[in-house]
Amino acid sequence: MKRSKSLKLALMGATIFTMTACDQPDETASIFESVDECAKFEGQDLDQCRQGWEKAAQEHVRTAPKYTSIADCQADFGPEQCEQAPQQTTSGGSIFMPMMMGYMMGSMLSNGTRSNVATQPLYRTKDDPGTFRNADNQKVSSKTGVQTVSRTAAQSPTTKTSTIRRGGFGKTAMRSSGFKSFGG
Amino acid sequence: MYRIAIEERSNWQQLAKEVGFQFHTIDGDKYWDESACYRFTMDQIENHIEDPSAELEQMCFEVVDRVVQDEQLLEKFAIPATYHDYVCQSWLNREKNLYGRMDFSYDGTGPAKLLEYNADTPTSLYESAAFQWVWLEQAMEQGLIPPDCDQYNAIHEHLVDAFGNMNITGTLHMAACQGSLEDEGTVLYMEECATQAHIQTHFIHMEEIGIDAQGRLTDLQDNIITDLFKLYPWEWMMRDEFGEAMPESGVTFLEPAWKAILSNKAILPVLWDMFEGHPNLLPSYFMEEAHKLDSTAYVKKPIYSREGAGVSIIENGKTIEEVKGPYGEEGHIVQALHPLPTFDGNHTVIGSWLVASQPCGMGIREDISAITKDTSRFVPHVIRD
Repeated sequence: MKRSKSLKLALMGATIFTMTACDQPDETASIFESVDECAKFEGQDLDQCRQGWEKAAQEHVRTAPKYTSIADCQADFGPEQCEQAPQQTTSGGSIFMPMMMGYMMGSMLSNGTRSNVATQPLYRTKDDPGTFRNADNQKVSSKTGVQTVSRTAAQSPTTKTSTIRRGGFGKTAMRSSGFKSFGG
Repeated sequence: MYRIAIEERSNWQQLAKEVGFQFHTIDGDKYWDESACYRFTMDQIENHIEDPSAELEQMCFEVVDRVVQDEQLLEKFAIPATYHDYVCQSWLNREKNLYGRMDFSYDGTGPAKLLEYNADTPTSLYESAAFQWVWLEQAMEQGLIPPDCDQYNAIHEHLVDAFGNMNITGTLHMAACQGSLEDEGTVLYMEECATQAHIQTHFIHMEEIGIDAQGRLTDLQDNIITDLFKLYPWEWMMRDEFGEAMPESGVTFLEPAWKAILSNKAILPVLWDMFEGHPNLLPSYFMEEAHKLDSTAYVKKPIYSREGAGVSIIENGKTIEEVKGPYGEEGHIVQALHPLPTFDGNHTVIGSWLVASQPCGMGIREDISAITKDTSRFVPHVIRD
């Protein structure tokens, strides 16, 4: 036979993404605002609380949303809620990011099984300050302590940068318009 | 090889709508056409299309190997000097490629003649890989064609496997230009294949791509793009404002930069120079050597032409057929005329698909004029001895 054995055509479009979203079970995570709060929580060990915080603080630098203007950052996260990032633009300009308002790590209570929760920083936005969100703007939880979070929110957040320009691709195509496709 | 008039499936337009195949009709004219199909023998497919495609791919690799090391040739290919190293490195690093489509003039008696190689941004992929496959299954089921037909079409399986072998661990961004339903449809299908290979994908328009202070490419959420499938030609990227950022961007592109050589019409004269007389090649020369062409009838093609644009057919010094287009400033090549065969008044071109350089399927386009172009109709095929 010279043809594909099977081909699931129904997948064109959104169906497959909905399916994977439903298939994913939730994760159990520990969420705290500080090392102190963590250490006071029953079953948590101070060293682990510190290590989690340090790891989340590192991830904060890598994954926090980045802005070239502090006003843009404050518009999303509120006044007094942004700080200067250690990164700089190539011309030496400042980059800003929201402050880390808490952190999340794999739950100590899920003993024996490997946790799928990536240790990471948490933020509160200006428009929804009651909810912890991760660096990818996924809702995590409104409460601290041991909580159930979605698997997507528990994944390691992506590296963030600050886009300085858009629209640098596509101009040559515009000069060739009139085709139904830009390929061939 | 025969063209056979058949009955259409009564429900096909409804099906096309359901699966998101929105470009089956273009400006009121049929693009997907199942009122006929082409019938081949297994021998024709395997010996005249599949095996020559595999052999030509190896010959093309030899061409790339030569061109990347030859500044003069790179110039003839109209690849800007600032990208010579980048293109060369992508080849020396053996960056993986995903797909391409060789176009043949073939009438069933062989040998098939290579007209050109769409190695960078080939379209009509979804029609070939998916909609044609479903047509075969349903047409057999509904008794519109005999129940023991086959089709040269394992494109879908090969695409999923190829994505699985790409070693993509993060998100694969997938881009098309704004304003082309066909291109977005093709990329949507590609996304599905990648998803079936368990790769996370994220669609973005080419125009929306950003750049950060370190010269890395970004998406609309300011995530850094690490792997980018772009249905957008390399020669355009090289002339766009962000082009100069690509070599240092850290992005792995699909197709890789060395496809800028393969997808170029200038490959045709170099193939002829290296493999003169090969049964699947037509005599071809750069414009300045056109006098070497031992033929009064030839085709003149811009080096960057796509979808037939800017191509003209010349006989005894007179242009007898021409498609207008925006290409040509970059130079031309000439190729001996080997007219497309005609079936019931239609000029027919064979598109032979390669995925990860493996031949794996076929799509057929028809036009009432002698040069096929972006509006040429797609007609399904069967294999039946």
